[in-house]
Amino acid sequence: MENILTQTTARPQATAPAPVTSAQPVIQLREIEKIYQTKTIETVALNRVNLTINKGEFVSIMGPSGCGKSTLLSIMGLLDEPSGGVIELDGRPVQAYSDRELAALRNQKIGFVFQSYHLINDLSVLDNVELPLLYRPGVGGKQRRERAYAALDKVGLSARTGHFPSQLSGGQRQRVAIARALAGRPEIILADEPTGNLDSVMGEEIMELLLNLNRQEGTTIVMVTHDEQQARRTQRLIRFFDGSQVS
Amino acid sequence: MLRHLLTLIWNRKRANFLLLTEIFFAFIVLFVIGSLLIYNQVNYRLPRGFEYENSWEMTLNPAGQAREQQHTALLQVVQRLRTLPGVVDVARHSSNTPFSFSNMNTIFPHNGKDTPLTEIYEVDDHAANVLGLQLVEGRWFDRRDDAVGSAKPVVVTKDFRDAVFPGGKAVGELMVRDKDKLRIIGVTTTYRPANDYADGSPGMFMRTTDLDSVNYGLPVLLVRVQPGSDATLQERVSREIATITGGWKTDIQPLPEKRIRKLKTVLVPVIGLSLVGLFLILNVALGLFGVLWVNISQRRAEIGLRRAMGATGSAISWQFLTEMLLLTTLGVVLGGLVAVQFPLLGVLGVPSVTYLLGMGAAAVLIYLITALCAFQPSRQAAGIHPAVALREE
Ligand SMILES: Nc1ncnc2c1ncn2[C@@H]1O[C@H](COP(=O)(O)OP(=O)(O)OP(=O)(O)O)[C@@H](O)[C@H]1O
Ligand SMILES: [Mg+2]
Repeated sequence: MENILTQTTARPQATAPAPVTSAQPVIQLREIEKIYQTKTIETVALNRVNLTINKGEFVSIMGPSGCGKSTLLSIMGLLDEPSGGVIELDGRPVQAYSDRELAALRNQKIGFVFQSYHLINDLSVLDNVELPLLYRPGVGGKQRRERAYAALDKVGLSARTGHFPSQLSGGQRQRVAIARALAGRPEIILADEPTGNLDSVMGEEIMELLLNLNRQEGTTIVMVTHDEQQARRTQRLIRFFDGSQVS
Repeated sequence: MLRHLLTLIWNRKRANFLLLTEIFFAFIVLFVIGSLLIYNQVNYRLPRGFEYENSWEMTLNPAGQAREQQHTALLQVVQRLRTLPGVVDVARHSSNTPFSFSNMNTIFPHNGKDTPLTEIYEVDDHAANVLGLQLVEGRWFDRRDDAVGSAKPVVVTKDFRDAVFPGGKAVGELMVRDKDKLRIIGVTTTYRPANDYADGSPGMFMRTTDLDSVNYGLPVLLVRVQPGSDATLQERVSREIATITGGWKTDIQPLPEKRIRKLKTVLVPVIGLSLVGLFLILNVALGLFGVLWVNISQRRAEIGLRRAMGATGSAISWQFLTEMLLLTTLGVVLGGLVAVQFPLLGVLGVPSVTYLLGMGAAAVLIYLITALCAFQPSRQAAGIHPAVALREE
């Protein structure tokens, strides 16, 4: 799977007429490819994706199941490496970052909400939410606790801090996962179907939370969703089909 | 971070129980073997308290001769051998000679308290010279003791004195054993005739004179010879004895040979136990390694997630190492609570220092083993990619 950058002469840029002058790219994907190789088949999850996320943007991604949304998000979140192409974070190619720097970026810059929560079952809700702060130098135990409580309060779970993930419903777990991403106060939140398991009222609340975060704190948000109405409320909607951006 | 790990260990208590038990038992086993080895080693370095290099143990066999004749013959043998060229000195000794398998011991009350188990050596005036005994107090038996007094003269070892008369002198002290009154006239240095690894256990020398015939068993003599004496002297001595007594058989065993033979019987169980211990430790190490390995493969998702949350690879391996060391500490503390009962209760009369050293050695070894066992799995854990968090559940 060779990837020839020079071939991409014209790059169809974002749909919304973003004010080019103030646009400051935080994440840039160039010709990103992701191929999953198994013994029998080769799955092309991402096929030459070019995408720029600007600072302060709220972008939603939609597309049918299996079209590569989660794959795209994990590559943006520096959790996985693309098979080809270049990701730039703050204008610097990711390959140029050391392992230690990448860990620091994941920890401080990015908040990730996993599609299937990924909570640590052996830790209480509070300890789970504290996790990103645990790996952040200079944050003391008391501060960690306070921030975790505040984040849990925002998702309406302040009464469940001592519970363990196995004692929570799917929607509650999803909210813990969101609180965990919030607790670190990252510049960028990458959320994979954050309201997928919530009822419409709770989903609406979370959506409000994200919108507020975006408006008031200027947090850059990329959200994968299946909800057309939610998607319309964001600044930019990207549609995916079969590993490629279609609009 | 430490609190986080303690919370994690506590929350995973069921999974950690197996590991903890394993560490606990490993500690106990190491403690017992360690204490034993240290105890032996400490004893080995103690002075022996006598010389054996140029001495023989000689057992005489009167082969059916009448008792009265036996005694005069024995006295004649002793007289003759003392004048024989090549022989330095000869002493009568009860059957519990150095490096022998024979014991003769007793416990008797003194000042309302029982003495420790004390080995009784029945010897004549020449024994101190033959064995090269050193006195730290008083004197050895001599003609002065022939004067019939109300008390029998005895010489005790330093370890007897320290146990029965702690911190004080013993010469001049009177004791009563059975119906006999005993007067201490001298104190020897620590005396360890049993084997190289024996402790300085209490002993008491009682005087045998020419008036005393052999009470039971065969007559035993200790013979000190000139350095460099060989089998020719042994033959000569045997012949001489046969001539004097009219046919007594003589069994000569040089003490250096006896020492080696005794050493083997003492070392075999120690080596055996050490091998069993080593095997156990190997088992425990493999067990720990296995448990850790499984542990880490079961926790791949957690590790991936921690990486995704911004933990570096080295933070992950430190986490696992620290978790292991915390668990080890817990196991060692629990094991230590059991082990500390040994010195507290004074088990087997081994000095407390030995047990404490044993505990220390066991703890150091356990930490070493767990650190070694945890090292590879932790490195493995550090290599887990954050993308793993996406896939495993
Ligand atoms: N680890 C993997 N190994 C092999 N194939 C994979 C792997 N992960 C994802 N894929 C494949 O890559 C494609 C994209 O998967 P991805 O999870 O990104 O889809 P998605 O758009 O998030 O779907 P959904 O809306 O159902 O979450 C799918 O066809 C999937 O089977
Ligand atoms: Mg998905």
